[in-house]
Amino acid sequence: MISVNNLRKEFKKVIKDPGLKGAIKALFRPKHEIIAAVDNISFEVEKGEVLGFIGPNGAGKSTVIKMLTGILTPTSGSCTINGKNPTVDRKKYVKEIGVVFGQRTQLWWDLPLVETYTVLKEIYEIGEDKFRKRMEFLNEVLELEDFIKSPVRTLSLGQRMRADIAASMLHSPKVLFLDEPTIGLDVVVKDNIRRAIMKINKEEQTTVVLTTHDISDIELLCDRIVMIDHGKNVYDGSLRELKKNYGQMRELTFEADPASNLTVKDFRKNLKLNDDDLIIKNDKNVFSIRFNSDSMPVGDMLNYTLSCTKVKDIAVKDADIEEIIRRLYKEGADKSE
Amino acid sequence: MNKLRKQYLPFVRAGVQNLIAYRMNFLGFIIGGLIYCFVMYYLWKSVFMASGGDTFMNFTMTDMVLYLFLSNVAGEVTFSSVSNDIAEEIKDGSIAMRLIKPVNTDLSYLATELGGTAMRTVTFAFPVIIALEIYRYVTLGRVMFNPVNLLLFLLSIVLAYLVAFRVNLCFGFMAFYVKNLWGMGILKNSIVNFLSGSLIPLAFMPDWLRTALEYMPFASMSYTPVMIYMGKYDTNEILFRLGIQAVWAVIIYGISKIIWLGAIKKLSVQGG
Amino acid sequence: MRRALKIYRILVAQNLKRLMEYKADFLTGAVSFLIDQAIGIAFIFIIFSQIPQLAGFTFEQIVFIYGFSQIPKGLDHLLTDNLWCVGYFIVRKGDFDKYLTRPVNPLFHVIAETFQIDAVGELVVGICLMIYAAPSAGLYITPLSVILFILVIPFSALIYTAIKITTAAVAFWIKSSGFIIQMVYGMNEFAKYPTTIYSNFVRLIVTFIIPFAFTGYYPCVYFLTGENPLFNIGCTVLISVIFFGISLAVWHKGISAYESAGS
Repeated sequence: MISVNNLRKEFKKVIKDPGLKGAIKALFRPKHEIIAAVDNISFEVEKGEVLGFIGPNGAGKSTVIKMLTGILTPTSGSCTINGKNPTVDRKKYVKEIGVVFGQRTQLWWDLPLVETYTVLKEIYEIGEDKFRKRMEFLNEVLELEDFIKSPVRTLSLGQRMRADIAASMLHSPKVLFLDEPTIGLDVVVKDNIRRAIMKINKEEQTTVVLTTHDISDIELLCDRIVMIDHGKNVYDGSLRELKKNYGQMRELTFEADPASNLTVKDFRKNLKLNDDDLIIKNDKNVFSIRFNSDSMPVGDMLNYTLSCTKVKDIAVKDADIEEIIRRLYKEGADKSE
Repeated sequence: MNKLRKQYLPFVRAGVQNLIAYRMNFLGFIIGGLIYCFVMYYLWKSVFMASGGDTFMNFTMTDMVLYLFLSNVAGEVTFSSVSNDIAEEIKDGSIAMRLIKPVNTDLSYLATELGGTAMRTVTFAFPVIIALEIYRYVTLGRVMFNPVNLLLFLLSIVLAYLVAFRVNLCFGFMAFYVKNLWGMGILKNSIVNFLSGSLIPLAFMPDWLRTALEYMPFASMSYTPVMIYMGKYDTNEILFRLGIQAVWAVIIYGISKIIWLGAIKKLSVQGG
Repeated sequence: MRRALKIYRILVAQNLKRLMEYKADFLTGAVSFLIDQAIGIAFIFIIFSQIPQLAGFTFEQIVFIYGFSQIPKGLDHLLTDNLWCVGYFIVRKGDFDKYLTRPVNPLFHVIAETFQIDAVGELVVGICLMIYAAPSAGLYITPLSVILFILVIPFSALIYTAIKITTAAVAFWIKSSGFIIQMVYGMNEFAKYPTTIYSNFVRLIVTFIIPFAFTGYYPCVYFLTGENPLFNIGCTVLISVIFFGISLAVWHKGISAYESAGS
């Protein structure tokens, strides 16, 4: 469905020294630097797939999404979606995609929400019948009923996001791009939106590409993830595989007996693990130890802990995806250095 | 004093940063103003030609050029974006951030403006004045520059700035009540341009109108300093005009305070 | 084309609905421009109280030129005001993204989105001034000149639009081009008066570089004297088409240089 080949985007950036002096210098003699925000990225997305597109801030996710949606023109490389090139046949192309930028709205700010949909109906040339059916469906999935007559500016962030997703789905796009669709929302609303995305994906075989910083979005929605950092591909594969390869981290939490006066330093002293494989945090007597179970089996760690101190309470958890991603980012950063 | 400096320096700095970030806009407005001056220059030139005499209502063509460009200088020096800033802050709610800071609100706006005003004075006003003196020398064949007039002009323009700043402040507070401040801005500018004499010298207007306008605050914003520089007033009149400027500076200060108190009440209602 | 008209109608309808929510704003806007114009006229009036004619034109003829020049300006203002926003912030803030993800020509979309009713001030003043000046301005009235009058106005307006498109599109490269629009647009002041009062250099600029002279003075010369229709009207049409073509090319080049904003 989507095929991205050696996509690259360069930006010219003015280098500014910090402070007032730097600003004045830049005023008279601006220095430029070419930065590759996206550096030869390639990946494919199958029809009906939900792809999580992740990476740290400034990794180039949005730039890729903007190229895929025809907003930015690539410096080199290509992306085709459904056989179409976004910047070449833009008008035809955008009819097949839906786009939501979480930080930005495409709704008409001062008008009742429903007005936006009637305008979009014309812009996307949707027939009367189809439009009615479509609104019913979106209403059911996204529960727009309560606020469809309110002016957009009065909507809460969660309502606005649902309304924006509905706006991007109105013309039954084959591909849906969601750039941080859950940003700034509370747990209940997030859940609501995730369910809607799942439902749309399932019922219509809509291909979804989403970027997010919320790990739960990835765990609940994505079949596959592509991770980029510094504009380069860092990982491309399924979530399960990722967990298998990077999931050796475990988290041990326990509450030590205050009488034992255990300190982080004491605890670390006798463990011969390097810093990446052992991260210790503590708050008074509660310790949280992240460690690599390849380097030190869970049983050994338990035994060691019990030998150090009397514990009131103890628990071991699997690595969560957040931890995995943190390690992956780190690896990516090391590699690029 | 030191405390004052420390407290308001960040605002000055922010103002300068902003100016640099939008330096091209700054340039655009200045060039736009100059274009306008040149249109007016040609227009007046042909008016002088059509009237057939060397002088037009007691102004020579050299006077006219001086008047046009000095009015523009006065406009640039007393320019203030405070009304737009306030309107913007009211719209996006960031005015709350200003209110919670332990500083005088008006002064913080003034501090933000200082950098821009200094920049306009140094990079625009002085060069234009120098150019005008050269022009005067070339056309009249003798040096006309009068340092006393320049000093009095500077004093008068400081007063003009204080009046203009307060007028803009009051205008900005209107954003609490009106949404389309942009349209109102056009209206304000053209009214001020007319009443302050920057469009047509007040001296060209019928006597009754000229006298009335000379006593209004708008003349204090541009006409008075320009006429002082051109040496159109004698000593007594200069003192009298400066006095009027000072009186208006105080009155408008009072008005801005009153509007502000009203506006602040409105703000708390909106905040609900 | 029919679809474009339909979309336009719908977008304008939305705009009017929004206006209805802020009736006071519409009024302040229109009244502001009206008074702004009235002051411009007062200016001419005061000048003419001292001189019989200017560059060979009588008071009524100057008023006619002034009034005529407001019509293309007002039309462009009415229809394409959103271009200012493109130059000032739509590109800088990355809000242009929206127009690129819709199956409608982005230029058309951006223009159709705003219907600037403030411009009524200019249009009303322009029409009133022409009506006021017409009887004593000694107009050259023939069937052909009437047809040309109606024909030339949209082309004159197109000169404004082309200049705004070109200067707004500069924002695609430098993020914010409001100041350039402001600067270039400001030169329309030159259109209000006979170009013969300017120096050759200025005349050259307002004729061929930033051709505002074709939005007022030149067509009016024909309507006032019947002289040289080929240049006064023909060149207006030609220049407007050429500049519009250039503006479209710059705009399209600009879109591929668009960098959006944010992360």
